Amino acid sequence: MELALQQKLVARLATDREFREKFFADPAGVAASEGLTVAAESFAQIHPEQVRQLARVLRRRRLAVVGIHLPLTRKALGERFADLFRNYAVSPPPGKQPFEDALGFAAFLEQHAAEKGLDPQWAPSIARYEAAELEATWLRRRLLVRCFPHAIKQLAALLTAGEVPPGSYQRSTTAVWWRTAASSRLKHWLG
Amino acid sequence: MGRKTEITNLLANLPRLGAGLAYREPFRDELLQKQSEVDFVEIIGDHYLDAPPERMDELVLLGEHFTLIPHFTNLSLGSAEEIDPVYVEKITSLIKRLSPPWWSEHIGYTRAGGMTLGHPAPLPFTKESVDVMTRNIVTVRRAIATPLILENICSPLLWPGAELAEPAFISEVLTSGGCGLLLDVTNLLTHATNLGGSPEDFLAELPLDRVVQVHFSGGHETNGRLVESHAQPVSEAVWKLLDAVVARAPVRCICLERDDNFPPLPEVLWQVERARAIGRQHRRWN
Repeated sequence: MELALQQKLVARLATDREFREKFFADPAGVAASEGLTVAAESFAQIHPEQVRQLARVLRRRRLAVVGIHLPLTRKALGERFADLFRNYAVSPPPGKQPFEDALGFAAFLEQHAAEKGLDPQWAPSIARYEAAELEATWLRRRLLVRCFPHAIKQLAALLTAGEVPPGSYQRSTTAVWWRTAASSRLKHWLG
Repeated sequence: MGRKTEITNLLANLPRLGAGLAYREPFRDELLQKQSEVDFVEIIGDHYLDAPPERMDELVLLGEHFTLIPHFTNLSLGSAEEIDPVYVEKITSLIKRLSPPWWSEHIGYTRAGGMTLGHPAPLPFTKESVDVMTRNIVTVRRAIATPLILENICSPLLWPGAELAEPAFISEVLTSGGCGLLLDVTNLLTHATNLGGSPEDFLAELPLDRVVQVHFSGGHETNGRLVESHAQPVSEAVWKLLDAVVARAPVRCICLERDDNFPPLPEVLWQVERARAIGRQHRRWN
């Protein structure tokens, strides 16, 4: 049982920034409060920099996977994709499957854009579009409809070609994903 | 049956695959056109569990063109918690469907206290960890007869209270679990160098007779530390270590991993070709 508690503690240290800083203020005390008995003292010897490096390794892997799930958003945001991901990934990844982290990050981007703005202005729409596609694909939605205030089709084509176009690209777009049955192939309409 | 006999039997039945590529979605369109340049494809098995039909179509298509080797990350063989029986059922089903010559996981854990890390975290190098790994491997092997090989991970964190040196820990896990080794040479180089040790010394302590598959990839250096980012061309230091491993171990295949900063496929395939040539040079395949 002690090893299970130790593993849980290390997992939290590597994924939860707030918990990490609390732990390093009082390692033995926090280890004991997490239920460790025998190992509480030895956990006080864990090197803070090693833990922070482990956190960076795990975050980098999450970033790579999320980047594969949100390729257009990544192109739209360029280097800021990684910067924003760093702000998002201060807590453990949500869910058990890789796409769930991408959905979490897309929601974070939308909230960030609403509170602080995000350039280009159409980037949150691209993130929401890719998140909807992930949801339709992996959650096997029978019908999913999303509306966007930007020209998604045109932007997606430009981003796929490697361009990050200037301009507002304001135009109402509706996207529909559907399956005739849960086991049938996903169809998509974008107009 | 003695250890040597068991290893000999394990390896004797495994095919020599050559040099291949870890499949990632950005390679999808080009890969099928370059079939002759890739001897096999490694897939991340986790990405096809609970997958929608269109995703499974992709797997069928890949399977029609390549030998597929499933590689998993979330089985969490090092978890002291009970291994997830539902996950075992799912991977059993996938492996049965693919019928690969072997499959792989990591020496580490990805699940603890309700969290899923998505990437393996290190274990303490203790007898208790060896016992946990062994217990979980035995559980999985009861369900899956296909040979299991385990990958060495790269971690900056060393748990306090180690009872074994890391190579001895790896050796114990493989021996008690009856597994082959998936030796990631980039992990080995990065891990040993960042901890202030010598990759060659680390290599010398590993049970090289158990190596079945080799992973290699590119990384970079930040603030004096190596980072196995899988996002750059393979460095000469990795090529040198790869050559040393293939010269000494009964390698059945070499797999290039590229996870980020994806270049056009030809820029990746010349590295697969170079790995294939290393295997030929050491007579691991024709």
